[in-house]
Amino acid sequence: MSIEAELASPGGRTRAAPAEASVALLRARRLAMTVLRPVAVFVPVFLFATFITFLLGAITGLSPAYVQLGDAATPQAVARLNHQWGLDEPFLVRYWNWFHALLQADLGKSWINGVPVSELIAQRMTVSLSAAGVALLIGIVFGALLGLLAAVTATSLLDRVITAFVSFISVLPPFVVGIALVAVLAVGLHLLPSAGYIPISAGVGPWLSHIIMPAIALSLDTVAAIARQLRTGLVGAYQENYVVGARVRGLGPRRIFFVHVLRNGAGPSLALLGLHFPNLLGGAVVTETIFALSGYGVFAAQSALHGDVPAVQGILVVSIVLVVGFNLVVNVLLNRIAPAAARGI
Amino acid sequence: MLSRLVRLPSFWVAAVILLLVLLLGVFGDVLAPSNPLKGSSEVLAAPSLAHPLGTDYLGRDVLSRILAGSPVSVLGAIEVAGIALVVGSIPGLLSVYLGRAFEWLTLRIIDTLIALPFLVFAVAMTALLGNGINQAMLSVGILLAPVFYRVARAAALQVSSSPYVEAATLSGASASWVLRRHILPKVLAPLGISAAGAAGTGLVIVASLTFLGIGVQPPAPTWGGILASDLGYLDYQPYAPVFPIVLIVLTVLALNLLADVLRDASGQSGRVMLKKRALRRAAKKRRRSSAPIPQRAGELT
Repeated sequence: MSIEAELASPGGRTRAAPAEASVALLRARRLAMTVLRPVAVFVPVFLFATFITFLLGAITGLSPAYVQLGDAATPQAVARLNHQWGLDEPFLVRYWNWFHALLQADLGKSWINGVPVSELIAQRMTVSLSAAGVALLIGIVFGALLGLLAAVTATSLLDRVITAFVSFISVLPPFVVGIALVAVLAVGLHLLPSAGYIPISAGVGPWLSHIIMPAIALSLDTVAAIARQLRTGLVGAYQENYVVGARVRGLGPRRIFFVHVLRNGAGPSLALLGLHFPNLLGGAVVTETIFALSGYGVFAAQSALHGDVPAVQGILVVSIVLVVGFNLVVNVLLNRIAPAAARGI
Repeated sequence: MLSRLVRLPSFWVAAVILLLVLLLGVFGDVLAPSNPLKGSSEVLAAPSLAHPLGTDYLGRDVLSRILAGSPVSVLGAIEVAGIALVVGSIPGLLSVYLGRAFEWLTLRIIDTLIALPFLVFAVAMTALLGNGINQAMLSVGILLAPVFYRVARAAALQVSSSPYVEAATLSGASASWVLRRHILPKVLAPLGISAAGAAGTGLVIVASLTFLGIGVQPPAPTWGGILASDLGYLDYQPYAPVFPIVLIVLTVLALNLLADVLRDASGQSGRVMLKKRALRRAAKKRRRSSAPIPQRAGELT
């Protein structure tokens, strides 16, 4: 969000400003902090992560000669191929070339068929992002519902049932849930197709029926994390002095909940969402195998098994970018709903 | 600590389950009634006396495969937790003592490891480094290390600023002496809690990797590999995945329970909780013994 947009839509219930200019200045400063501080954290993360990615490819000792020629490789052929791919240069030079190309969205070419890696990944990304997106939605909606319900009825029987249920689903790994869903919903009851993917352009119904089971399998971890954290956060916020104060001043329970409790109690859950996003991307490797989706997770596993280093590096870089980008968004949101949280993260 | 633990019933539940699983892990190979690799003509048979859990798509005995697959799955989880413990907690403790440069560097590396999509990296590292079980353990262990780094660092930070450590330093204690004498005992409990949790995560990750056929060669049995082969024959044996799934989920639940129990029993709050529990039990006993005389029971409660 730009500073102009921020100023054009002053957020919600701010106190009447005595001096417009100073408020605008403060807000601009806060926005700058919102954007710059995370950048200071995430740029090193991005640099380190991409360096680790490159290092991983370098220390494997794999080369296109190994992938393309196999046992039939002669030393001359290997040297020729290595030279052709620029692998005979020093490590740092290769790293610099790779990183330089990376910044221009050029992830190199696959060692197996010479197709640009970015093209290969782009073809598969829609499948994975649909599953991860629906999973994220399920995680937020159901996690928030369960957490809210447990917090509102804290210490009651319902609260205990929800807490027990959440602890149970939090230990279920995605592949267990995925297999159980296939066995029950697809094989047992014939309700949903067990495998495959249909693009959303062919209709939302068929698309959702193919994507919903992998999404559920992926989402349980997020549901559990959000529900737990939201319950803790809301119960904690209800005990704060400002809630007691609001009650004493005669504010209605609905206003207390939405303005005072939810805003302060939901911050940690949102931060947790950022921490759990990598799991949504990572779980794709397993769920895509179960549901026979040709997404980036399956592509990662196969490329890695075939020793196609540029493809694997490309996937890792894309996932790093997604995680870092998502966490930046979470940070900005967090700063909007609870400015005090900006200091901690 | 141990004397407090044995008084908690949930500790015994977790301990019994984990002990059984550990036995499977150590003696699984020996316990297998038939050769886990040998196929037969009885393909996809239902459970019977000869094959208590049925046979798989090549006619191999499922029970034997599960038992023979236990060592890789169970000991793998322990190994992963051990590697993560060493790789994470030592830099975590040292980050408080070895100066700002080391601290900054390790913090950034840990931030990075947390931001990585776990499973994709585990798959990529294992397969690229040679696709063996040791490579799998090493990469998962490294990726799990941030938990231990943070726990060790938090505990060390808390203790190192306490007055008695300052007093020890002022009296001339060296950093290593302070570490061994004052910080290590304080860090052990939180590290134990994290280790139980990490073993659970490790079990799931190792099962996920073997499910994908990464880290092991196909005919070798593993819990994840059994699940993968069951998946192709769900139409014939929809119940087949239940056996490995129950084992995996039960083990993870027991490990989480153990972590919770350790958390409850360690530290000041654990002592308070146990004392309260003992008082309540004593009150109940007194009430029961005095039940015939109602007015006295009323007095007590």
